[in-house]
This record gives sequence, C-alpha cells and structure tokens, in this order.
Amino acid sequence: MKFYDVLASLIHDMKNSLSMVIHTLDEITADAAVDFDKPARMTVLQNEAKRLNNNLIELLTLYNIENERISPSIEEVDVAIFIAEIMAENRSSAEANHIELVSDCDPELFGYFDENLIRNVLNNLVGNGIRYTRDRLLISAAQEAGYLVFRVEDNGSGYPEQMLSKQSAEDDHGALAEGRTKLGLYFATMIAEMHRNGEQQGFIRLENSHQLSGGCFSIWLP
Amino acid sequence: MASKIEQLSFLIVDDYGDMRGVLRNMLQSFGVTDIDSVANGREAISHIESKRYDVILCDYNLGEGRDGQQVLEEIRARKLIGVSSIFVMITAENTRLMVMGAVEYEPDSYLTKPFTKDLLAQRIERLLNKKADLLEIEQAIDRREYELANDLLDRRIAENPRNLNEFVKIKADLALKAGAYDQAEAIYSGVLSQREIAWARVGIGKSYYGNKRYQEAKQVFQGLIDGNERFMAAYDWLARTHQAMDEPEEAQKVLETATAHSAKAIVRQRALGELALRNHDEKVAERAFGQAIRLGKHSIYKHPSIYANLARAKAVTASGDAALMVLRDLKKAYKGDTEAKLYSSMTEATIQEDMNNGARARQCMIEAHELYKELGTQAAPELALDMARTCNRMGETERASELLHQAVKNNHSDELFLKAVGETMGDLGLSEDPGAMIAGIKKEIVRLNNRGVELAKLGKLDEAMLLFEEAVVGMPGNKVVNLNAARIFMLHMNESGIDTDLLAKVREYLERVRQMDSEDRTLHKMQSMLKQLLRNSANPEKRENG
Repeated sequence: MKFYDVLASLIHDMKNSLSMVIHTLDEITADAAVDFDKPARMTVLQNEAKRLNNNLIELLTLYNIENERISPSIEEVDVAIFIAEIMAENRSSAEANHIELVSDCDPELFGYFDENLIRNVLNNLVGNGIRYTRDRLLISAAQEAGYLVFRVEDNGSGYPEQMLSKQSAEDDHGALAEGRTKLGLYFATMIAEMHRNGEQQGFIRLENSHQLSGGCFSIWLP
Repeated sequence: MASKIEQLSFLIVDDYGDMRGVLRNMLQSFGVTDIDSVANGREAISHIESKRYDVILCDYNLGEGRDGQQVLEEIRARKLIGVSSIFVMITAENTRLMVMGAVEYEPDSYLTKPFTKDLLAQRIERLLNKKADLLEIEQAIDRREYELANDLLDRRIAENPRNLNEFVKIKADLALKAGAYDQAEAIYSGVLSQREIAWARVGIGKSYYGNKRYQEAKQVFQGLIDGNERFMAAYDWLARTHQAMDEPEEAQKVLETATAHSAKAIVRQRALGELALRNHDEKVAERAFGQAIRLGKHSIYKHPSIYANLARAKAVTASGDAALMVLRDLKKAYKGDTEAKLYSSMTEATIQEDMNNGARARQCMIEAHELYKELGTQAAPELALDMARTCNRMGETERASELLHQAVKNNHSDELFLKAVGETMGDLGLSEDPGAMIAGIKKEIVRLNNRGVELAKLGKLDEAMLLFEEAVVGMPGNKVVNLNAARIFMLHMNESGIDTDLLAKVREYLERVRQMDSEDRTLHKMQSMLKQLLRNSANPEKRENG
C-alpha cells in the first residue's frame, strides 16, 4: 500500500467519525431538554467540525482527481431544487452564527453539471462565508453569457487586492502553503475546469461588491 | 399529489446504533411515527418481506453480509417494494462514482454523511414530488402496459414540462426495449443535438448495436471511454460489441481494463471469466470467477455456473483436486438445488475423466443426464453447451452433437448464443462448417414459422395448429415456436369456443416462455390475448359484437 492510499482510507474513516460528531452536536443543540449556559461555545464546536469535514472532502476529492479516480458525471440538474438543498444544508449553521442566509434563483432554471462536486464547492464557500461576512450571505444561480453562474457573496470586508489579481490555478500552485483559503481556491478551480462543453471550459472569478458589499466568489460552468 | 412526510412509514438500515438513533431522531422531529430500524441486510430483507415501507434509508456499508447495493438489488429484483417506494442510499463519500451507470438497479437518491435534518426533509420532499410526477408512467411500465406508458409519455412530452428530458429518456428506453432501434436513435439524436449528455450518447450506441451497426456502436462506446475512463457501462457495451464482431480477445481486454478500474461488479467479473475461459486464458478466468464468488456471497447475482467455471479454470491452472474442492463448495452453497447439482456432476465428469478416474466420471455423467432431463425446458440454454462439452470429453460425440443441434433449434433467434454454439461445435470438431449448419437449421425454422402464420392468415387454422403442435414437440425450448403455437391455438378458440385441453396447452407454452424470458414483449401480448379470450368466453354476447 502506498502512503497516499493509506491516507485516503484514513480520511474515509475520519469522515465517518466526524459525521457522528456533527450529528451528535446537532442533536444536542436541537434538544430543548439540554440547558446551555454557553451556546456560543457550542457554535464554535459545530463550526470547526464542519470546517474539518469540508477540508476532508477537499482532500479526498483532490486525491481522487490526482489518481484519476474521478471524472465529472454531468447531468441535467434542477438548479432551484439544488440551491434549496444547499440552503437546507447550511441553514442551521448560519442561524447559530446569527447570519442571514438568502438565495436567489429563477425557479425554472436547469443546468448541466456534476451535482456532487459543485455541492462540495458551494458548501465550502458558504462555510468560509460564515466566517468572513458581517451578517449576510447570498447564494445565487443564473444563466449569463452562455454559462451557468453560481455566486456566493457576503457583506464582509471583501477579498484583499493581491487575491483579486491572481486568479488562475497555475498562480496558486506555489502559494498553497499560504493558507487554507488558497487551497479552497485551488479546489474550486479544479472542479470548475473539469466541466467542459464543446470548446468551453468552466472557471472561477473573485470580485468585490457585486450585489452585496463584500466578497463575491463565482463559479462559471459551460 | 405527493403524501405528507409524517404519514409515511420508514425503515432505517445502518450497522451503527448511534447513526440509527440520529436518523430516528431526525424523522421524529418531522412528526414521523412509523419508524423501524435494523442493523444489517438480512434483517432489512426480512422486514421488507413482511411490511410495505414508503421510504427506506439504507447505509451503503453494512459490515458483514450484504452491502446497501445488494439489499437494493435483491428487493427490486424480487419486487419486494413497489415503484412508489423510495430508496435512499446513505454513503460516507461519493459512492456514486464506484457504481456509475453500470448497475441495473440504482437508488432513487444518494445522500452523503453528514447531513442536516433540513437537508433530509428537503430531499425526501423532492423525491416524493418526483415519484408523484412519474407514478402513473412507472406503474404502467411495471404492469408491462407499454402502450399505455407510451401514450402517457407522449402526453407529458407534448406539454413541454421543465423536466422534459426525464420523460424523453424513459420513452427512448422503452423504444430500445421494444426493439424499435430507429425510433430510439431518432430520440437520442434529438437530445444530443441540444447538448452532449452521457445517457443519450450511450443510448445512440445501444441503438446502433441493436441495428447490428457494430462498427458505429464500437466508435460510440470507445469515444465515451476516451472521454471518461471510469464510465463502466461503456466498457460493458464495448465488450458486448466486440463479441458480436467475433473479437473475443478484444472483448476480454476491454473487461480486464474495466475490472481494473472497478472490481466490485459481480456480473462483469462473471462475463470476463466466461470470455477468458472461451479464449483459453484460464489464469484470468480463475481470478475473475474467484472474485465473482467472493463478491457474490450475499448477492442475487450469484450463480452455480460461476463455481463450475472456476473449477474448470482451476483444473488447468492448479490441479484436478483443487477443482474438485471448488465443486464441494458449490454443493455446500446450493443445497438441494437441481441446477446446481447438474453443474456439479457435469463438471466433475470431465475433471474425473482427466484424472483417469473413468468409473467415477461415468457415474457423474449418468447423474448429469438425468438431472438435465429433469430440468427440461427450464434448463438455461448455456447448459446445453457445457453438457455437450462434457459428453464429447466422455466420447459420446453423437449425444454432444445432438445437444448442440437442439440448442440451435431452441434458440434460433439469439445471435450471440448461436455464435457460442458455433464456437463449441468448432472446438469439439463436430462440424466442418458450423456457421453453414446453423444457418441451415435457422432457415428451416423460420420457414416453418412463416408457413404456420401464412396458413392461419388464409383461415386454415386446423392445418396451422397441426404444424405448430408438431413444431413445439420438436423444439420445446424455442420461444418463437411456443409463442406462435399459443397464438394459433387461441385464434382457434376465439372462433370455436374454449377447449380445456387446448387452454392447458396455451398456458403451458406461455409459462415455458415466461421461464425463459419474462421480459419478452410478444409474451406480454399473448398474455393479454389470453386474458381477453377468457373474458370474452365469460360474456359471449360481447364476443359477437367485438
């Protein structure tokens, strides 16, 4: 067994444990019979457990991509329902952090993409957004210029200038060590670029002050 | 209208008690009260056998015994749950990748752990709406009322709903199954002219294959693999296409690549083993059959022939004794099963003969003959090939030749099978030109069928009946002959009234065909014809009018 394969199977096991931790934490917070004197500490636990889980998914997905164990399965997706599920997945976490989570999507919108891969990217972005925003997060989907565009926007202080200027996966290879935001960026880029349609290829874009005043991360899928 | 979640009955299947508790609490928070939970596949099956659940939440990993996929396969194949029931597979990671498009039964949805209860509620609601939307159509298909299903589909497609492609996909699939390959191709091309979608591309390939345009089919499936080397269904179809093109070595290579990517599919391992055995590559065959047995322990896809073939491979790669050990396992795994006994005796005869135990070999051969007779038309066509090989090995060339002739007569319209018969004839040196001989028999049967149908058209039902009665005796395992005989007998009764003897015969013919291929479209038509006949005879006035 190679080190990478051991790592993959360990991550798998860690994910199982972590699922149990997250589910149990959710149960304790939902249980009216349990009295907390410090609910904020509970939220910290939940946030960090979710972050750990998102990181593990990233690691596992990157492992699978590098070992060519993954190829996107592009299918027709009802985008409004998909967005509703992303909302449902993150609602309780946003509430616990006193953040207003809203979405904007044409109920008739259909798209072609790998539901699982894009779900992971969006959950990551929302997880980060909860940390960096002031009190609001917007998830949206729309058809623009021949692409399906997903956006996660916040009303925090926005992306720093040097991040806005370097926006391709190539630029980021050397910068991985700089922090996990960069890893997230790399991950999202990889997933976006795996989506192709004819000559077109998916990409990501970072900007500030799109609809909300803070950062706006968008994924463009052909 | 979809039902409300709190009114539904749920079954939770998970080997972790804590996880079962988490799921139960989530469901209770939605107001659900009818919740059962079990820890493994065996208990899941026995619960589902005795109670009808609306929703089954099943973890993919269930420890020892069946995994989630095997539970799903068993309950769907045995029709333990109806089309309106929902099956959700819960996984630790994206398991879909492991099975992508290569399994016969897919769950209604996958859910990756951990998930919030909001997501679970949202997902169940989504699935309920989808089920309600498709229910009428799925029920028609389940009852094999394909014309009704098609009408319903056309009506929905004409409305141009937002999920249009869902209906188009089902319609194309029905066309493929009905053998309307040109129609299927036209539908898939229409979809692909909008956008490249994998299921439509595979569909085009299947349409080409159905129309025997193998070169084009090959290009389609190869193209899909080039675009996505983990597209398992494309490998299976590519291998099938190579086989149809008389390229068994190529077919084997394709399946070897596929199993290297994903080793878990029992059906594919079995197909690879059978190909390798035919290509005299016993090493590959041994590995493939070994895997198929190991994986299939708790699966509906386990089959006695896999053991018999493993024994045949091991007799070459290891020793006769090692092969006999496999046959002992076979008998242990299938106590009291006639077909399994037959596989065992038949295979043992050859092995003992090769080990120079002539007396024991002869005894096995006699046992095999008797068991084969006992099975009658219930014997799978492939058994005839194995029997012929065994007879030939024992020096009974004439019997071997007879078995193969009969196999051709019984399966004259199954091209892939006829190919295998021809190969066996060639291998055993039973015919100088197997192809010509098979073509001769085929022509004879087609002529006979046509003559019978022609006679019936001319109103000479008595002559037609005589002809088919004789044909059925000569070819009891031939689907087309049995179906035609049943039809002519029913036409006769339509005119002259019910005759108990004839009715019994019709029932017997249809039952034979049902055992051979319960999905046969003509069979379904004949079954409705029989129903109609019985209904008319109960209301004679109606018959006069209709």
